[in-house]
Amino acid sequence: MNPTSSLTAPGTGTTPSAPTGSGPAADRGRADVSGRERLAALVQRQGVLAVLLLVVVIASFVYPTFATLDNARGVTVQASFLAVVALGMTLVIITGGIDLSVGSVFALGGVLAAWASQWGILPALLVPLVACGTIGLINGLLIARAGMAPFIVTLASLLGARGLLLALTDEGATTYLVPKGSAFAELGQGSIGGFGYPILVALVLFAVGGVVLQRTSFGQTLFAVGGSSDAATLMGLPVARAKVTVYLLSGLLAGLAGAVNAARLSSGVTIIGAGMELDAIAAVVIGGTLLVGGAGSVSGTLWGVLLLAVIQNLINQIGTLNSSYQSVVSGGFLILVVVAQRYLSRSRSTV
Amino acid sequence: MTLPKRSRALSVACLVVATAALALSGCAKSETSDQAGGDSSQGAQVVQTPTASAATGSGCSLTAYGAPKLDLKNAVVGFSQSEKEANPFRIAETQSIKDEAAKIGVKKLLTTNAQSQLSKQISDIQDMLAQGAQFLIVAPLNSDGLEPALQAAAAKKVPVLTIDRKVNATACKDYLAFLGSDFVEQGKRAADAMIKATGGTGKVAILLGSSGNSVTTDRTKGFVDQVAAQAPGIEIVAQQTGEFARDKGQQVMEQLIQSKPDITAVYAENDEMALGAVTALKAAGKAPGKDVKVVSIDGTRNAVQALANGELNAVIESNPRFGPLAFATAQKFYAGEGIPEDVIIADRAYDASNAKASLGGAY
Repeated sequence: MNPTSSLTAPGTGTTPSAPTGSGPAADRGRADVSGRERLAALVQRQGVLAVLLLVVVIASFVYPTFATLDNARGVTVQASFLAVVALGMTLVIITGGIDLSVGSVFALGGVLAAWASQWGILPALLVPLVACGTIGLINGLLIARAGMAPFIVTLASLLGARGLLLALTDEGATTYLVPKGSAFAELGQGSIGGFGYPILVALVLFAVGGVVLQRTSFGQTLFAVGGSSDAATLMGLPVARAKVTVYLLSGLLAGLAGAVNAARLSSGVTIIGAGMELDAIAAVVIGGTLLVGGAGSVSGTLWGVLLLAVIQNLINQIGTLNSSYQSVVSGGFLILVVVAQRYLSRSRSTV
Repeated sequence: MTLPKRSRALSVACLVVATAALALSGCAKSETSDQAGGDSSQGAQVVQTPTASAATGSGCSLTAYGAPKLDLKNAVVGFSQSEKEANPFRIAETQSIKDEAAKIGVKKLLTTNAQSQLSKQISDIQDMLAQGAQFLIVAPLNSDGLEPALQAAAAKKVPVLTIDRKVNATACKDYLAFLGSDFVEQGKRAADAMIKATGGTGKVAILLGSSGNSVTTDRTKGFVDQVAAQAPGIEIVAQQTGEFARDKGQQVMEQLIQSKPDITAVYAENDEMALGAVTALKAAGKAPGKDVKVVSIDGTRNAVQALANGELNAVIESNPRFGPLAFATAQKFYAGEGIPEDVIIADRAYDASNAKASLGGAY
């Protein structure tokens, strides 16, 4: 990342649409490339949405059973859990970090929620939030205060959370059930107009996430930290606090997603969440957030999650394809996006 | 504080991990034993309980379930497989469903594979319902957690027949019925075979299946209880998971040979782990089947071949060919007959005496 741009326009990262504060040196030569640069930024921000819309439109014409209300309900409910997890991941990746623990934390949150649901909806939400928030907090403190690599710290908590889950469930032999008809079960299974509450939860969280990221000083700090951690420190930004907060939020969101998922499944299933961190990372990157940090958006992540969900749905619609191809197609998209990002960021670094 | 360069390298590293996992998860090793799935004319499933005469009369009928009448020949049938077709059991199971659907002339068979992800199995089932599936055959990945899918099916009045694993739900309401083996009984029979092979004394190591899997729990319980009741001379000295995988089974066996060299017998909860254990024993200079007795469950072709070669001592079958029985059950159901909650199939047992002759019936 270019440290100058972060210094002069903290928060906007590589987004060129905020020239305020740019030095005269940066202005020179910007005019020639600004058109191309703007296009690059547009592709980066909205490219995945265009791809998603294209895929949906084509699929609607080709497969009569694709563009049905039923199908839309199914796909969106299923996607909402990954979406919430990927929201936290987006914040972490924008700061230049990574959180590998979310899959295990998601599963742990589900088990704790199902266990606590016997005492009502409040414990069913609070217990997983406290536990998963604690894991996130520990991740954040080790990374921000002790300066350890996010990859290793969160890999350790991936293993730790999974182990804790197995210990709580007697090596997975015990499955805690959510009482039928309870308010907590309703949270996962109820719906408005056929669209389940989990979708609502995800949409609200994304709206809040978008506002926080784009409109608050905390959000701007995250971009600055991701752009250049050193520069952000020199500017007197609360870098460590920002880092701790994103890992805390990531843990909380993964725990919440796990809890709502348990409500939907009526049970604290122990085998879920394995590999979910990779899906979340894929969705974030496909959504246009740079894996090196400093640039990204939560809306892109939402489209990325939906794109992955639609691909899975389409493979089933096609029917004759082995479902393994889902991973092949998702992987292909990921490569395409990364190549595009590389190309686009190169065209911008010529500024 | 992370230097940008370092964090970039880190990010690239995890991107590689992410991409590789995404891309490779589809291309896991595929078992290429000759004619996996076996000869479908041999090794057909036989119902053990309830017997044919007892099956009629009671049970879940079309009217009790509230499903519309259907001619399977004009129907869209969906099959949801739980795990990758990377082991003989799953290969044979899926093939058997496909073969039988073709044989009776089902209009359209939709097939999906959840790749061991519960969330994917739920969306698979919902996707098939959205595509107009009128009858569903589901191999559940887990006993709990399929509720949203079952509810979606019930809302559309689509009957769900579960095979090989049971779901924790109400039969005839949340799902139609369960077809499968009695896993506790398989464990018991494995214990009987072990007692016979060892003469009732010895130090046994158990290679457990995946943790938290009901099949693991049942096969362990059946074996341990039967050994405790019938052969006090047999001591169970180790229980470690080999996760139903050949490489894990081999790895665990290698460690056990080091840590407990006096082991005289191994009970593997599936054939793949047993074959891994055989490799490990051979590498350590022990003769599997002689120095160390090996008993396992499944009845795959490779295991029965090993049995014929004298490297295994007994194999209890777990028959995966659900196609004929599943569609026969569906036809009975639509003909107005009552379907019992649990249809338990009779699994065979292989030993040295019948291994060669039975090779054609193994999968």
